[in-house]
Formats: sequence, structure tokens, C-alpha cells
Amino acid sequence: MRATAKRLKGRLAELWQGLREWCGDAAYEKYVQCTARRSAEPPLTPAEFYVEQMDRKYSRPNRCC
Amino acid sequence: MKRVLKTLLWIAVAALAAAALATIALHRGEPINATWFVLAAACSYLVAYRLYSAFIAAKLLALDNSRATPSERREDGRDFVPTNKWVLFGHHFAAIAGPGPLVGPTLAAQFGYLPGTLWLIAGAAFAGCVQDFVILFCSIRRDGKTLGEMARQEVSKRGGVMAQLAVLAIMIILLGVVALVIVNALKSSPWATFTLAMTIPIALLLGIYLRFVRPGRVMEASIIGVALIMFAVVAGQWVADSPALAAKFTLGGVTLAFALIAYGFAASALPVWLLLAPRDYLSAFIKAGAIFSLAAGILLVRPQVLMPPLTRFVDGNGPVFAGKIFPFCFITIACGAISGFHSLISSGTTPKMIQRESHARFIGYGAMLLESFVGVMAMVAACAMTPGVYFAINSPASIVGPTPEAAAQTITGWGYPVSAATMTGLAHAVGEQTLLNRAGGAPSLAVGMAQIFSSTIGGERLLSIWYHFAIMFEALFILTVLDAGTRVGRFMVQELVGRVSKPLGRMNWYPGILLSSALIVGAWGYFLYQGVVDPLGGINSLWPLFGIANQLLAAVALVVATTILLKMGRLKWIWVTLLPTVWLVTITMTASYQKIFSSNPRIGFLSYANATTAQIAAGKIPAAKVAEMHRVIFNQRLDAAVTAVLAGMILVLLVEAVTHWHAILSRGRQPILHETPYVATQWAEGD
Repeated sequence: MRATAKRLKGRLAELWQGLREWCGDAAYEKYVQCTARRSAEPPLTPAEFYVEQMDRKYSRPNRCC
Repeated sequence: MKRVLKTLLWIAVAALAAAALATIALHRGEPINATWFVLAAACSYLVAYRLYSAFIAAKLLALDNSRATPSERREDGRDFVPTNKWVLFGHHFAAIAGPGPLVGPTLAAQFGYLPGTLWLIAGAAFAGCVQDFVILFCSIRRDGKTLGEMARQEVSKRGGVMAQLAVLAIMIILLGVVALVIVNALKSSPWATFTLAMTIPIALLLGIYLRFVRPGRVMEASIIGVALIMFAVVAGQWVADSPALAAKFTLGGVTLAFALIAYGFAASALPVWLLLAPRDYLSAFIKAGAIFSLAAGILLVRPQVLMPPLTRFVDGNGPVFAGKIFPFCFITIACGAISGFHSLISSGTTPKMIQRESHARFIGYGAMLLESFVGVMAMVAACAMTPGVYFAINSPASIVGPTPEAAAQTITGWGYPVSAATMTGLAHAVGEQTLLNRAGGAPSLAVGMAQIFSSTIGGERLLSIWYHFAIMFEALFILTVLDAGTRVGRFMVQELVGRVSKPLGRMNWYPGILLSSALIVGAWGYFLYQGVVDPLGGINSLWPLFGIANQLLAAVALVVATTILLKMGRLKWIWVTLLPTVWLVTITMTASYQKIFSSNPRIGFLSYANATTAQIAAGKIPAAKVAEMHRVIFNQRLDAAVTAVLAGMILVLLVEAVTHWHAILSRGRQPILHETPYVATQWAEGD
């Protein structure tokens, strides 16, 4: 019973994380993790990253007919 | 034993698909239940995915999971971000699913339910999914290069220019025609106009929230936004009931067209975080919710499909748009079966986020199957209403007559009984003054959706709320296509004019931004305006033009894919992309020829222009309307020229590609493949 509850909790946490990634909530976390691993420069602030990400995303076709 | 069971299960699914397809194809006389459509589509998709996509993955593309993808090699946390395959499937689907798979099948329902449904299922399995999957694979192997870049590298420089011009052309025509769909849905409807207008301040509010209050907290902002929009849908009824407010929001087609043009300009020129991005978030949430609800509603209600399998309009004289099944059914239903525009998504964002090459099958092929399923749902919603009502909503006044009585008499005369009282009653039930002459697909789809939703929740009492929810949902994400497309178009224009004047090409120089925004908005705005003032309703001219442009782009994508596969030495399996290419070129060329040269004025642009000229010369046009008719003549000739240019472009690209293929096959030229070199993945299996 406890194992099932634990598995269910794990699944729900995965689902929640998937939803956060899909809608963009987790984008900054991923960016900070990547910067920490790959770059010596300090990361952008959340607000700077958000604006930069929006500018980049909407400069190429990203919504279809 | 397990393997035998699995095989038996797949044989059962295939048998069920065949039985359901045979039922909807051979059924005659009585209405048929929508469950057959769901079964036919779902089982066919399962079989196509299990067998055909697996074959393409293994034999044609030879996907290699030991090879590092761009998201691994170039991970930067911005564009190149390794993403879980289910999340990326959601991203990709949200990007490719626009109004096309909803509007196209609704319009094509005038032929009856059968041609459109079969094309949606077969077209997706053998053409649309193949295009999306193969282009995604090609782009993954090239660090996420765009279709234009791949065309330039792998076909020729001229091929690259053709692809870029095709993208710009389709963008302009697409934006003009989707804007026309909104205008036809909103005109003379204060409730719908108010609701959609309210989405602008709501989006601005969310933009400020996401930028300054809680940066990047998209989910909570979207939940607030969706709640506000739902309130706006309900508040729209109060506006419609108030004579003073209703008068302010009751707008004609031309006024709405100019309002949309002004909106497009603002969305293109304003900072993207202020209006465009928050609207897109709202649209994504509402789109996902509405599509899921429609599928659930159809499964729960299991409505009867009242439209016959084939209508009398297979003869080419349909009131919604003129032209026979071949080629116009395949031009009208673009996005639910195959859409060239998808190749821009498959070669843009998605390949930079994919974790493993094998995920391309699920994301590229699978997401397109789901989009096709949305198209089948739209077909069911349109065909579940009484055929007479469907034709009354979608036919222009110039064909059925301007009054409810005249329209009812004409449509009943065609063999699809409907009364003026039915149309008036239905309009009142959904909170509208009239539902007549609303060509464009959106209102009839909204009526179909509202009938399905209200059968599940609320009954007749909530029909008007559901109708306006459906209109808001369609209009909201059409507006998202409009503003995102205008902005991308602006970048393309800036890239082009930047070659003449460097400052105009700078993306942060405001005069350049304003000029290029005005150019792109002016271009699609012109098509929108001509559609609004067209006596035949606009959709008759513009939707086929959009379909031709979209299928042209699909042909470009498949030509590029075929060239790459030939260079990879996959001659044995080349028919996988070559056959859909031949089919697309055939329908695009036939439709282009007919749209330009057909002697039927409702089909041929030139014969319509000539017939109108003759009417003016014979004095049959009232003096007050002569100037307007001269504009119509000019517009028809312009449409003929645009169609000819589009057809010419595909011919030039084809000649380029066939010459190239001949050189590759005759070994006259050593094929140079521009793939990024193989790098082994550092990720463990299952990462």
C-alpha cells in the first residue's frame, strides 16, 4: 500500500514537472542548471531571461496554421 | 506466446480499422453514429504508427540512438535544451495545431463527410506525418537548420530562395485568410466582439505580471488569464443585452478588418513580452482544453452524423466554395492531412530540443496523427448538424439570398430542408441576431461544438455560452497565429530589405521595425480587405489560394527530403517521400490551373474578372457599384497572378531538384551531404 502510494506520488511529481516544462515555468531553472555546468559567466536574472527568451522564441515560426 | 498475443492484438486493431472505414464508406441513407469515425481514425492511426512509422524509422531513416543529438552537443539552456519526449510532443503539437485542422474540414464538409474524412486519415498517414517526421530527422542531423537553409545546402541556392519566398508568400496569404475567418465570425455579433476585444487588455495585464511581478511564472499567470477570459465570455451576454453597449460592439466586416490590421501592426511593433507572448500562453491553455473537451464530448454524446457521405456538390457547384472533389477537397483540407507550414516547426525549434533520434518518430509522426484526429473531430462536429443549417451558415448571400426566407427556400430546393424559423430560432438560442452568410467555417464549427458541449453540460440553457466559448476559442488562437505570424513576417521582410539598406535590417532600429511591420501588415491586410468586400464571400477565393500556398510549401519540404534521402543512398525506399511529392505537385498544379483558367466564374479568377467586365460593359451593374466592381476585377486578376507565381515557383524548384537527382543517380556528381559529423552520445541508455 505504502509502495503504491509512493509510486503514485512519484508519478504525480513527474506529471507536474512535465506540465511545468511544457508551459515554460521550468525554463529558467533549466537555464541556470545549464549555465552552472557549461559557462563561467553569471546567469541572467529571471526577468532578463524571460524577456530574452520571448524575443528569441517569437523571431521564428513557432505557431502553425 | 507474448509475441503471438501481440500480433493477434494488432491484427484485431487493423481489422477494426478496416471494418470502421468500410462502415463509414459504404453507409447510405440513415444517419451514422460518430463513434464509427472515432474508431476508424483511432485504429487507422494506431496501425499506421505501429507499422509504417516503424518501417520509416528503421529502413528509410535508420535512426541511430548512439548518435548525440544537437540538444546534447550544443546544450545552452536557451535554444538547445534536452527535453523529455512527452513534454516535447506537447510543445510540438501545440505549435503545429492551429485553426487549419478545424476550419478546413468544416469547409470541406460541403462535399459530404466521406471525402474529407478519408483524406484526413490517409493523407496524414502517408503524407503529412511522413513530411513532419522526415524533415525533423533531416534537421536533427543538421543542428536544427531551417527548411530554407537545408534547401539551399542540399538542393541549390535557387532552391533555398524558392523555399524562403514560399514561406513569405504562404505567411501573407495565411494571415489574410485566417483574419477573414475571424471577421466573418465576429461581424454583427456584439457578444463575440466584446469577448475577443477583452482578450487584449487581459493579455496586456498578464504581460506586465509576467515581466515585472512574477517573471516567467507562466502557469499561474495563465490560470488567472483563463479565469478572466471565461468571465469575459459570460459578460459578453450582458453587453449583447444592453442596447447602448451592444451598439458599440456591433461592427461591420470592413471596420473589423481595419481593427485587426491595427492590432496586427501593434502586436508586431510592441515588445513581444507585452502582448504577443501572454496571448500565446492563454491560447495554448485554452486550445489544449477545448480540443480535449471536444474529443471527450464526442465520445460521451456520440452524436449522429446527419450530413450524407456525398452531397450533390461533388459536381463542383458547392455554395461554400466552388470546385470538384479533385483537387479542391485536398487543397481545402491542408493542415489536418498535410501542411507545409509544419515543416517550419519540424526544422526550427523541435530538433534543437530532442534528446534521442528515436524520439523523432513519436514526436514527428505521432503529433501529426493527433492533429489529423483534431481534423476528424471538426468534421464530425460540422456534419452532426442538420445539413440545411450547415449550408445556411456557410453560404454567401449572393448565392442563397439575403433574407432567411430566401436562403431557406434556396437550400431546401437543393434537397437539404431548412426553414427560416429554424435559422432564426437557432440564432437566438446561441445569442446571435443571425447565423446566415457566415462563410469561413468558424461559426458552423462553433454551433457544432456548442451542440455537443451543451448535450454534455447545461443543455439548451447553456447553448449560447458554449457557442461564444467556441467562437472565443477559435478567434483567440487565430489571433495568436495572426500576431506571431506578423512578427515572423516582419523579421523576414527586415532580412530582405536589410540587403538594400543596412539600418532597415537592424532588428532593434525602431523606424525599421515600423516600416517592415507596416509592409507585412499591409500585404496580408490587402488580402483580408479584398476578402471582406468580395461579393462571393472571400473564402471562395482566398481559402483555395491559402491551400495551394500551403501544399506548395509541403511539396518544397518533400522535395528537400527526397534529395537528402537520395544523397544518403536510400533509393530503394525513396517512394516514401516521392509519392506524396508527386501527389502534392499534381493537386497543386491542377488547382492552380483551374483557379486561373477555369471558364466557370466561381472557380476561375480570370473568368470571374472577365464576366464582371462584361456585366459592366452591358450596363448590368448599377452606376453606384461600378467602382467597387472594378476593384473586384483587379483583385481577381491579382489572385490569378499570385497563383501563377506560386505554381511557377514549384516548377522552378522541381526542375532544379530533378536535375540534381539525375546527377546523383547517374553518378555524374558525387553527392555532398551536409550532415554534422557523427559524435557518440555520452548519455546512458534511458537518459
